[in-house]
Amino acid sequence: MKRETITLMLNGLAVDYIGEAEVFRPDAIQESPERIVHMNKKRIITFALAAALMLALGITAYAVWSIHVTRQQELKADLQIEENSVSSYTEYDITDEKLSGLVLLSSVNDGQEQHVYVNISPVTKEEAARFPSDVRFSWSIAGTEICGFAGPQLPVELSLSGKEAIRNAVLENAYDEKSQTMTLQCYIDVKFIEKAEAELGTKDIPFQVHMIMGEEESRTFGPVSFSSTEEQKRYFDFGHAIYHDTELDKKIEIVGLELTPFSAIWKVSYEGAADFHTPDADPTAYGPWSILEDKVCIESKIIFSDGSEFSTGGALTTPHENGTVNQFCGWGSAININEVQRIVMGDLVLWEAE
Amino acid sequence: MRTFVCKIARNLATKKYHSNTAAIRNSQYDLALEELEEVLADKNSVEEAYEAEELAEAINGFMATLNYTDRFIFTRRYWYSDPVKDIAKMAHSTTNSVTVRLFRIREKLRHYLEKEGLLV
Repeated sequence: MKRETITLMLNGLAVDYIGEAEVFRPDAIQESPERIVHMNKKRIITFALAAALMLALGITAYAVWSIHVTRQQELKADLQIEENSVSSYTEYDITDEKLSGLVLLSSVNDGQEQHVYVNISPVTKEEAARFPSDVRFSWSIAGTEICGFAGPQLPVELSLSGKEAIRNAVLENAYDEKSQTMTLQCYIDVKFIEKAEAELGTKDIPFQVHMIMGEEESRTFGPVSFSSTEEQKRYFDFGHAIYHDTELDKKIEIVGLELTPFSAIWKVSYEGAADFHTPDADPTAYGPWSILEDKVCIESKIIFSDGSEFSTGGALTTPHENGTVNQFCGWGSAININEVQRIVMGDLVLWEAE
Repeated sequence: MRTFVCKIARNLATKKYHSNTAAIRNSQYDLALEELEEVLADKNSVEEAYEAEELAEAINGFMATLNYTDRFIFTRRYWYSDPVKDIAKMAHSTTNSVTVRLFRIREKLRHYLEKEGLLV
């Protein structure tokens, strides 16, 4: 391929991708490599319970109420909240007083980010079908300059390729034509929430969602009052465990692991680590250490009491803070952090329940 | 909200600027292009005749296969023409880590374009 062709190709890069790269915000829509679509077992129960409300609310109101509750059940099942006893998951009451506009469904605090799931309406099918090409979503905190990207809530393990596939998946999974409702996920850095609380002088922050169509047209949903929810975290102290990698002939101290149902921070330390995590680090010298850092995240196994194993996968960010390299990893569906039995890396037992 | 809309407007302006100045070329832009050229070089000398739309579809289809961090790194390097060390700083990562990721992304892109029939 010639240089001119490559340039032509790069010039065709969608504005969406250019826009999302303006600031590093790893809370945009992320598609994971594997996909298992969970059937919602609880949908039947939801409708059974809801049927009694049909008379009270009327058919139209029922359709709207129903989509909120259905989405709550779908989210809970998809994120595997109940089976993993996730106490940091908050589900909001759906009242018949506030069924349209911006409706809070649920939220969970993973320590780094507050995941907020919402429904917005009305959104026409034509508008919904313009995502991701010509429609985007964002959230903001009214009265502040704090904002970020939001995206349609798709099943956690869905793997998509291409805009057409994304568009179809959104219409199928995140949009309800009857009630003209779109379900979105908004990931808010907990530091942003703290900043907003300090700026506004209140814990109840005015949260709003925006739908941006084309280059100029936009619509705001909300604000609604939102307050940060409790995080659920366990810290595993590895007592200065040293892993010796024979291939690289290097030793790394695995200090500990901060674990939440949706994220982990592997804390590791080695000589010279602070210098390697600066923009001017020598890439050649850091090379083998980088591989070793990756190994800790990828090859360590968290073993649960039922014998199942879990790997946190590679780190998304690796800042050096408070004397350790903090390797942050995240995933879609919850794990049960109360059922951790052992944590190992190869033959090295890092932690074991008493 | 205003901030967000302004950002979009600025992005569009930047894109325009990028298109206008592409022919002038600056050193970072050249360096970034060379990296891509190295991987996307044709194995034969067949004359290329691609439609802009076809290429845009290919690059955006490829981007949709990447996770957010890889999309960010790719866009910052090959669209904004940022130096690797600046990207590392922005992504709270290291120069080496970004270099390795860029290498893998370029390889992925080559495979993707081959699969799409745009690279022989």
